[in-house]
Amino acid sequence: MTGNKILSIQGLRTEFPTPHGPIVAVNGVDLEVARGEVLGIVGESGSGKTVLGLSAMGLIDLPGKVTAGRILFGGQDLTRHTEAQWQAIRGKRMAMVFQDPTTSLNPVQRIGAQMIEALQAHRDISKDAAKRIVLEAMVRVGINSPEERLLSYPHQFSGGMRQRVVIATALLNEPDLIIADEPTTALDVTVQAQILRDVRRLCQDAGTALIWVSHDLGVVAQIAHRVAVMYAGRIVEQGITNRLLKTPSHPYTAGLIASMPTNAKRGERLRSIPGGLPQLSNLPVGCAFAPRCAQASAACDVLPELVSTSAEHAVRCVSPLNEAA
Amino acid sequence: MQSVVVLFVMSLIVFSMINLVGDPVDMLVNPESLPDEIERVRRDFGLDQPVYIQYWKFLTGALSGDLGNSFVFGRPALTLMAERFPATLELAVSALIIAVMIGLPLGVYAGLRPDGLGARFIMGLSVLGISIPTFWLGLMMIILFSVILGWLPVSGRGETAVFLGIESSMFTLDGLKHLAMPATNLALFKIAMVMRLARAGTTEVMAQDFIRFARAKGLSSRRIVRAHLMPNILIPIVTVLGIEFGTLIAFATVTESIFAWPGLGKLVIDAIVNLDRPIVVAYLLFVVALFLVLNLVVDIIYAVLDPRVRLQGDEG
Ligand SMILES: Nc1ncnc2c1ncn2[C@@H]1O[C@H](COP(=O)(O)OP(=O)(O)O)[C@@H](O)[C@H]1O
Ligand SMILES: [Mg+2]
Repeated sequence: MTGNKILSIQGLRTEFPTPHGPIVAVNGVDLEVARGEVLGIVGESGSGKTVLGLSAMGLIDLPGKVTAGRILFGGQDLTRHTEAQWQAIRGKRMAMVFQDPTTSLNPVQRIGAQMIEALQAHRDISKDAAKRIVLEAMVRVGINSPEERLLSYPHQFSGGMRQRVVIATALLNEPDLIIADEPTTALDVTVQAQILRDVRRLCQDAGTALIWVSHDLGVVAQIAHRVAVMYAGRIVEQGITNRLLKTPSHPYTAGLIASMPTNAKRGERLRSIPGGLPQLSNLPVGCAFAPRCAQASAACDVLPELVSTSAEHAVRCVSPLNEAA
Repeated sequence: MQSVVVLFVMSLIVFSMINLVGDPVDMLVNPESLPDEIERVRRDFGLDQPVYIQYWKFLTGALSGDLGNSFVFGRPALTLMAERFPATLELAVSALIIAVMIGLPLGVYAGLRPDGLGARFIMGLSVLGISIPTFWLGLMMIILFSVILGWLPVSGRGETAVFLGIESSMFTLDGLKHLAMPATNLALFKIAMVMRLARAGTTEVMAQDFIRFARAKGLSSRRIVRAHLMPNILIPIVTVLGIEFGTLIAFATVTESIFAWPGLGKLVIDAIVNLDRPIVVAYLLFVVALFLVLNLVVDIIYAVLDPRVRLQGDEG
């Protein structure tokens, strides 16, 4: 199984210095993704999901910095990479799709040029050859009359179409891993479902591993084999999607499940978790969720480790729920 | 239509202002002339008639393309201006090129590393560039490069040559030597301006998602700057420079006076001193017309550069 891992993140820590002390956006994250696997990452907005994805891509801008941990990708530790080595991997072996499709594309460059350059950055390939590959990729993500669309500018596309262009671009070099950071959050529900289905199919066909990030557990449940739940920069629980949804161990996961619209009983109000994220520059010493947790006790003043309860499941809690399960 | 109204109002203002300043006849005749001689000159130039008649004559002439003859040279004002215009145009174009060639790379550099020492130095320079008076710097340049070092000629346009049907001193070494100081002097303010625009644009654009996505594609920094940063920052810069080109021509008056550059600016300064009304009026009308035309041209360029504007136009 370990030889099958495409990505293995160990003890990753990403900080942004501020005058009031560093914001620790990613705080000791351990994560593994197998080849062809779909891993979901969920957590409230601000829990560090985007920063985690950017860290894995080497895209954290100064003064932000990865200050500890390793990112093993295809056996290499990326944290030791030079910028040139990163460039060779980005877009080629590991690609990323961002949340807002209306801002992900250069407004004054034609769609075709923006896709072709993604190929030419990694391959010595003629413009015509690149164009053929781009056209095929556009068809695969469901863009009609791609020949014409190559010459269009981003503003001539709907949000959903733009995200399809971005996804097609990410898939161009047949990467081993795609990190999709809430790619459907900004879109209509119907478009969201279509894109979700298409991305799942495309990754399956190409054997591409996928990290699907979302604040919505319902969306992640539709696509991910495994789910990691993130809270205040830490993974608090991870496991197989079905098992995690049915019998969550961490009170935070249970809270997320309870607040999913599909789980609300008819006539009942949506239950959201009371309170908000703690300040990342000033975390409590113990469990960061304790101030919002109904089960909290004095034992929570010590930070629990992420403990494996079975081969495929781990939780960071002193008194996990559903112990028997 | 609006432009015609602007031109008309402008001519009215200029015409009445210049009549308040003094009597051109005093400048045209020898102070010792006899009174009847003075009267003759006054009649010859039509200056004996009431101002509104003079204005009416000017207006009817202007509508048929005749802005009157220079009192001093006795030749049509428009012809005189047309003769001088190439020199000014050459100066303004050179200044524009210098402003872009120096201001753009420095501004982009400062924008890419906003906290670096280099960026602070560059922005300090730009403050200097904006606050140093043009004429003072011009004199300092002359003292340093012509008087002390003896590298560059003090004044004049130098040798010209014809290239692609354009006669300019840009095409001879002697001409370039003559051009160097006045063009740099005129460019100074614009260098600082381009620098600031480029820096502001760069910091803004580099923070955009599409730059991050371009990096996620594995593009090199050079490619990102060239293909994604530049086209986006050039849109506002070109637009502003288009409008500013008018001020380059207008501000050339100061530079041309310092360096005795035989252009429009020198012509009009002399005309003002001599109360040569037809030239002054013609010049000011020309400047106003220039701004009006530039506005139009800039709108067109903007539409060409920015696909968002262009395509809206297509659809609408
Ligand atoms: N460039 C940055 N500078 C400072 N703080 C940042 C920066 N980027 C993200 N953060 C902080 O990191 C935390 C996690 O953000 P993010 O990863 O965007 O959350 P999520 O994607 O889960 O909504 C937030 O508190 C955010 O304010
Ligand atoms: Mg996010």
